[in-house]
Amino acid sequence: MRFRAGIENVTTFFRIMQSVEKLQKKCIIKFTEENMHVICNSDANEGGIQVWSQIKIDSIFNNYRIQSNSNNEITVNLTCEAIMGALRSVSTSSGVSNSASGSSYETDEVIVKLAKKNDQAVLNFEITGTTAGGRKVKIGHDVRIEVMKPVDVARLSEPMCPEPDIHVLLPSLQKMRTIVERLRTQSDLLAVRASHNGCLRLSINTESVKVDTDWKDCTIPQMMKEGASQDSADEPPPDPEQLFSVLVSVKSFLKFLSSHVVSTTTIACVCQNHCLILYVYIGDVADAGGVLTFYIPAIIDDE
Amino acid sequence: MSQAPVLKASIHDVRYFSALLRGVNFANRATVTVTEKGLVVVVEESRTLLGTAYIFSDVFDEFIYHPDTAGDQASQQQQQQQQPPGEEIFSAFEIPLNTFLEILNGFGSAGGSASKKSGRFKAWRKPGDESEGHESDGNAGEGEGDQEGGNANKKARTGPFSSGSERKTGMRLTYIGSGYPLAMILAEDAFGPTMSCEIATFDAEPHLDLPFDSHQMVLKIIFKSSWLRDALSELDPSCDKLTFIGNPPDITDAGAQTARQRQRALLRAKPNFRIEATGTFGNTEMDYPNDREVLESFECISPVSFSYRFSHIARTMRALQTSVKTSLRIDNEGLLSLQFLMPSPMPRMNSGGVTSNFIEFRCLALDEEV
Repeated sequence: MRFRAGIENVTTFFRIMQSVEKLQKKCIIKFTEENMHVICNSDANEGGIQVWSQIKIDSIFNNYRIQSNSNNEITVNLTCEAIMGALRSVSTSSGVSNSASGSSYETDEVIVKLAKKNDQAVLNFEITGTTAGGRKVKIGHDVRIEVMKPVDVARLSEPMCPEPDIHVLLPSLQKMRTIVERLRTQSDLLAVRASHNGCLRLSINTESVKVDTDWKDCTIPQMMKEGASQDSADEPPPDPEQLFSVLVSVKSFLKFLSSHVVSTTTIACVCQNHCLILYVYIGDVADAGGVLTFYIPAIIDDE
Repeated sequence: MSQAPVLKASIHDVRYFSALLRGVNFANRATVTVTEKGLVVVVEESRTLLGTAYIFSDVFDEFIYHPDTAGDQASQQQQQQQQPPGEEIFSAFEIPLNTFLEILNGFGSAGGSASKKSGRFKAWRKPGDESEGHESDGNAGEGEGDQEGGNANKKARTGPFSSGSERKTGMRLTYIGSGYPLAMILAEDAFGPTMSCEIATFDAEPHLDLPFDSHQMVLKIIFKSSWLRDALSELDPSCDKLTFIGNPPDITDAGAQTARQRQRALLRAKPNFRIEATGTFGNTEMDYPNDREVLESFECISPVSFSYRFSHIARTMRALQTSVKTSLRIDNEGLLSLQFLMPSPMPRMNSGGVTSNFIEFRCLALDEEV
């Protein structure tokens, strides 16, 4: 089992870990020849929110080399905090807050590799840099990992979801977060609704207050058609007024919104009475650098 | 309902409005009374403390009140009872104030721009502004509220014109009548999202009535709010009792010839106004000199001393932080009336003779015998 790569885009890597860390302390990272998958699917996860992501190797790494007996794939289980700590030591001119590191040196290269120290598998981060005085600096971080057995890896599976009822392009996640944070103080449940005329509505409804927050003219991508090909093609166009809605936990939704640090474009899919799926695109959509997929299960209200 | 709604009001920037309401936001249930002239919001605690915010109609851009004469019976009865000739017509209802404020700040721009909050707050702070100490006493939520309050305060003082490109929340409020929810529409700008909400209203319950008899007044002080604010924020939150002591001003100055004698007389003399806090860890005494610089007006006929629960007086902190001037009155029964004059929403309106909005707190004295 061999793994060695240079990290080119530390900021993005750091931000992905940052958004994932809000969900659970440990996560699974699966390296394949083309992609890096960051997975959060712990049962202990509050509210049952899951993240399945797929990030192109090229958008983060360079000189990427991987080798293993199981189809050249390596799956590891690690603590988010530890990997963030290692990445924080990398001084970059933009993005990552590295006030802790003091950034008294310029980073030249970051190498990550799979290693074994004292019978313990680790991901070794090696950061080389140059100080202002021109001296070479070398920083090493060992992140303890647990390499997962192929049997366990095979058992990992993405949640099954029905064909979404509607897709909608979300407005700025940061703005949404301000609003949802206020709503959280009033209610535990949040209804996410969208209609084909571009209306997105976040609602709460409690004994003392009812709030509807509406965004008009959201883009509704028409991607669902191709999937629905098995149905009769001459189906009437959907009613533009009809709102498709799903009830989710406000806390879970806020956890997803913390991914605003990494997002540029986010598409939400409503599967009525089943779940809310959120595709958070990393970098420009056109680059197809990667996508974080959040699954938030619906809460079925018996009322 | 065929009839026009009881109340229709709109406002282009809710900051000032929410700062006024935040001043009395110490209990969730508030009674709102609507009259021709504006809104009166009353909040009560432990049947001892009464907070009242008077918000006049000129705070709003639009304020249309239709007395609900054809309304349902409850309000009709109420109106008949409360309506001797010459008395104002009014409609009253109760709302969860905390919820109302939280929604009002739904975009995070009712208490000053949230994103720039911390930085701005420091910048606006005036020397001697001790509010920070107080904030850290409360829990996190309260602290935030205070900070926003302080921020709105500074904003209101400098006037809305100085804050050019700030984000503002506009609001339209409708109350159809008794039994209907309070409907509100909020928006930040024409392109952004709109928030429409309905807040449940409840029939107004009779609340504590603490009439202040100004003929029986024993102490009356008018001073800058900062003098009281600084004093209260200086106190340890573990204090449980606060005593206001007033003594009539000395007139025995005639005997003192030299400056030294006068000074000695001053030292011997009882303080004109003293705030004394008693707690588990000791006492704190704060004296105010009867100086025009400090006490703008001081009226006291005979020595007085009344104690109040510190936690009740501390409730006034949020209103104090926003206000500019304070009137402190105590009657012979020990009923304390604190009136906080709020800064005018627009500085230029001050000269126009527009009624100033204010918040009043009334608090019953502790029974010293017990």
